[in-house]
Amino acid sequence: MADQAPILPVVPPRSAPDDVLRVEHIAKRFGPVTALRDVSLHLRKGEVLGLLGDNGSGKSTLIKIICGFQKQDSGRMFLHGQPYQPRSVDDARSKGIDTVYQDLALIDELSVYHNLFLRRELVHRPLPLLANRQMKRQARAALDEIGINIPRIDVAVARLSGGQRQAIAVARTVNSDADILLLDEPLAAMGAKEGAMILDLVARLKAEGRVSIIMILHNYVHVLEACDRVSMIQDGEIALDKPTVETSVEELTDIVVNEYRRARIAAHEAEARAGRGPGADGGAAGAGGAGGAGGAAGAGGAAGAGGAEGADASG
Amino acid sequence: MTGGPAPGSPATAEGPGARSHPSETNGLLARILSLREGSIIVVTLVTAIYFAINTSTFLTGSNFKSLLPYFAPLAILAAGEVFVMILGEIDLSIGAMYLIAPFIFYKLSTAGIPLVPCVILALLCCMVVGFVNGFFVAVVGISSFVTTLGMLFTFEGLTLIISHGAPVNTPGAQIQQVQVKVDHVINGHHVVLTETVNKISTFAHVFGGGTYSELIWALVIVIVLQVTLSFSRWGLYTVAIGSNKLGAAEAGVGVRLVTVRNFILCALTAGMVGVLEAVRAGSVQPDPAGANEILFFAIASAVIGGTLLAGGSGTVIGALIGALFLGVLQDGLILQGVNANYKLFYLGLAIIVAMTVNVYVQRVRRGYRSG
Repeated sequence: MADQAPILPVVPPRSAPDDVLRVEHIAKRFGPVTALRDVSLHLRKGEVLGLLGDNGSGKSTLIKIICGFQKQDSGRMFLHGQPYQPRSVDDARSKGIDTVYQDLALIDELSVYHNLFLRRELVHRPLPLLANRQMKRQARAALDEIGINIPRIDVAVARLSGGQRQAIAVARTVNSDADILLLDEPLAAMGAKEGAMILDLVARLKAEGRVSIIMILHNYVHVLEACDRVSMIQDGEIALDKPTVETSVEELTDIVVNEYRRARIAAHEAEARAGRGPGADGGAAGAGGAGGAGGAAGAGGAAGAGGAEGADASG
Repeated sequence: MTGGPAPGSPATAEGPGARSHPSETNGLLARILSLREGSIIVVTLVTAIYFAINTSTFLTGSNFKSLLPYFAPLAILAAGEVFVMILGEIDLSIGAMYLIAPFIFYKLSTAGIPLVPCVILALLCCMVVGFVNGFFVAVVGISSFVTTLGMLFTFEGLTLIISHGAPVNTPGAQIQQVQVKVDHVINGHHVVLTETVNKISTFAHVFGGGTYSELIWALVIVIVLQVTLSFSRWGLYTVAIGSNKLGAAEAGVGVRLVTVRNFILCALTAGMVGVLEAVRAGSVQPDPAGANEILFFAIASAVIGGTLLAGGSGTVIGALIGALFLGVLQDGLILQGVNANYKLFYLGLAIIVAMTVNVYVQRVRRGYRSG
């Protein structure tokens, strides 16, 4: 156990005087799966925070808790210093938090402009029928301002490319009145050119200083380019929280490589234990199983530990 | 042998031609086909033309009147069903609402409540059932097919219980014989004679008894619901949920609220049809088999009219035309003198043939739209 990858120190909850959002000790389980163990992070005004983590580390779950789509099991949140517990997505939005989801939450059957205005539709008075012409005009203006090239805004989004769809999902959020934006992998389906456009847009929003952004990204180069600070979730906890100027692609990569290494060791240990299981019942078969497990776990340097556990179990 | 390639070749020759020059070749057809309901309109027209050629009576005013009861009730039922089907759900309990609403109306009326409040109360009862449907589907999470099948049997059974399986006369729909004094002029002399005239009440006229009453109800309901579907938030959210339920929820659409609302609407339209039909017929029949047939035709109207069973897409107008198609088909087969035992057989075959044609017309139509 001693020569395993170093266990990363858990970063204690931090804060700054100009925090717009603070998340403290959030935990969330889905049945037997622990998505978030104890996550604390904060977001300063006008800041772009990059949120990193392996697939399944709980980044999207955290985003969905902050935006009101899911509720945490424990932990508290503060918005502008006030306790914050959204009842719904609408509630969070009314408090100025808007989200681009990983799955984009676009409606294929609806037109570009109806998607852009979903839940914020403009309607006529007194009969509340959709003000389609007005929405089209504003949608066109908003897309032009962002610099997204969508030839026709009255076609169904099903007919657009992956990058265009992503751009519309981002535009929908940016176009809202929100002052905190949560972007869950906004570059996932995009080509280099479209991705650069979104990063430009984020840079422009940052320069304006009106909004604060939490952004989940996978590409470390993008993180270092676009974000002021980076937080990394590992095993349901924040494993790193640093300004981007103090970290590098190498450091971020190292952390992830170490995580992979630990994950592999854990997997081997589990395998070893599984091999030991039947050994307690039958003599010859048990010896064979133990030998095989020992060999496999040896690569991870955990053979002794595995053997000791097995002995405890059988004795 | 020679007939084999002949029907195929003109079609293939026509297809690409129509696709490449949409605006130049026959503009009206292109305009019809550019509508979402275009293909079913064409199929219905062709069916009507077929019967107009093959029967001498199809294109008469009296036949139009006899066609109405075939399609107006279906159009109203299908209009409500479309709202549920676009969600990707289905409501089978409309058969039971159709059956029980007039009995509730009858029971309330015999308790001494005036006719119009009776109708309103009966419809409110249906809406409560719709709410329960929606609750089970959206909140409890039972599949809508199972939920509404259960409600269908439950409320058809309840109808048999409260009616004791016996038909009753529809309150307010009875033909009254009224003595009218008529002023005759005979040889310059005024002679006033009493004559007996058959008459139905204003209530019956409005609620299905009048010749065009059901048609007017159908058109008003279809227009209102189509406008709601196309131009209101409710309609937008209905399509959104049917197209991408999770995405709609993430965007903040109240999925449960809209689902419950649509089931209430569907039960309301079904109850309305039940009352209209009871008033038109003058009697209320506790006949689950008939109700189930109506239920089946209503869902068929919606599907034929272009509403997807999988949800996300559909129109109320399309369902109206689907109902019209089924009405024309049934009426036309009768006019052609088809033996009663053969009617269902031919109806089934005709639906399959027409829908096959529909698929081909739709392909041509896609060509028009993208061209």
